[in-house]
Amino acid sequence: MKTLRLASAVRGFSRRNTRFNSTIAVTSEPLAPTILSTIPPSRNPAASAKLPALHARLALHPSYPIQTLARALVDPTADKDARFTNQNLSTLGNTLTGYYASEFLLVTYPRLPTDVLYAAVGAFVGNKALAALGREWGIETAFSPAADVDAGLLQYKHLKPGMDPKLANRVGAATQEHAMAEAVRAIIAGVHVHEGQKAAKQFIRQHILSRKLEVEKMFDFSQPTRELSRLCAREGFEAPVARMHAETGRRSHHPVFVVGVYSGKKLMGEGHGGSLDEARIRAAVNALKGWYLYSPLEKELPSSAGKKGFKAQFIDVGEVIV
Amino acid sequence: MPVNAIRLVSKSQNGVGAFVLQCKRLEFNYCDWAGSSKGMNSFLKNVLPKFAKENPQIEITVAPRPHRHPIIRGEYINGREKVICVANLEHNQILQKADLLRNSSGLKLKRFNKPVKSENQSVRGIYSPFHGANWQI
Repeated sequence: MKTLRLASAVRGFSRRNTRFNSTIAVTSEPLAPTILSTIPPSRNPAASAKLPALHARLALHPSYPIQTLARALVDPTADKDARFTNQNLSTLGNTLTGYYASEFLLVTYPRLPTDVLYAAVGAFVGNKALAALGREWGIETAFSPAADVDAGLLQYKHLKPGMDPKLANRVGAATQEHAMAEAVRAIIAGVHVHEGQKAAKQFIRQHILSRKLEVEKMFDFSQPTRELSRLCAREGFEAPVARMHAETGRRSHHPVFVVGVYSGKKLMGEGHGGSLDEARIRAAVNALKGWYLYSPLEKELPSSAGKKGFKAQFIDVGEVIV
Repeated sequence: MPVNAIRLVSKSQNGVGAFVLQCKRLEFNYCDWAGSSKGMNSFLKNVLPKFAKENPQIEITVAPRPHRHPIIRGEYINGREKVICVANLEHNQILQKADLLRNSSGLKLKRFNKPVKSENQSVRGIYSPFHGANWQI
């Protein structure tokens, strides 16, 4: 194997520097930057039973080598040499996951306010979600990145207990959540590198975007009634009016009111509450959620647009400014 | 800011999109000497290679457990493990037990009384006395 590598390097070297003959190239091995020095014995992927199992569990294509999977499990805190760690792969994986998650959310909910959109992207591809995904894939962590560790374990330098996670970078350690998320990103990047863009997109759809996220529970309105009236003014609707639909026990200890908020004759939202104000505010919140969570029936993603190019189904003018 | 976001984390729904087998490791223990391991030894020689080939997503370990009954230990993604003693069983009975562990989710055995268990809200919604045709106070 080593001789093979040398031979290929020699070929490349002599092609670049035709003035030298091949014997010089062999003696000056460090000159050729493409040759990796031997992988540390700790991380011999062929000796691990966990890696083929993980490969099969994720239904990866045979063209995805075990070696890439092993490399994806080595955090930059475990090895100084970036050629043995997942540093570059996880950067690529971060870009891919971020892109596919945001295009999915933007096409599904084109009116989502910026803050909620960012939070929703984070809920799919943030560290917490991806670390959970890694655990659900059955990735286990090594106690420490020692020499005799199994290549199928996630290797990183653990942050000491009680230390602030914000200081992790400075002391050259990582939290489990961060290391696991980076490993998951690196594995996804491996799919992109070895199986292609289409496969990576499908992998992300199947493993990340298929997870359950209740976007309607991510809104926190500070002044919903005011925001609704600003929205109506902007869109040229009639100003919202709250009207009571039903009530019971007004003079009792536990009254219930059901209030609808109308623009002209159109009911925009309905809410219930223990007081008239509470019911009115809930109705306004429901009306605003109905607006912001609009989802077009036909959804075409920019990444699946063919040669004719992407044409957005719906472009929103932006969130309401109060 | 009129709208702030509440940070949530997406939840796993195994089988929606991708399915990941929950059994991640099976450990087969045997004894060279004891008679209760007779079936297990023949299982390891004749059946296990085929079983392992059919289930590449499971990491399989074979280890001696001298002077003890043979067992199969299954480890699951949720962190739990299940152990079955296969003393004095034939190799085909042991295969059944191995399949049982393979197909298990790793959760504690639990009785489900409802036909459907869902994370989604009911389509019909919660009953409200204030809606519908016939309400009167």
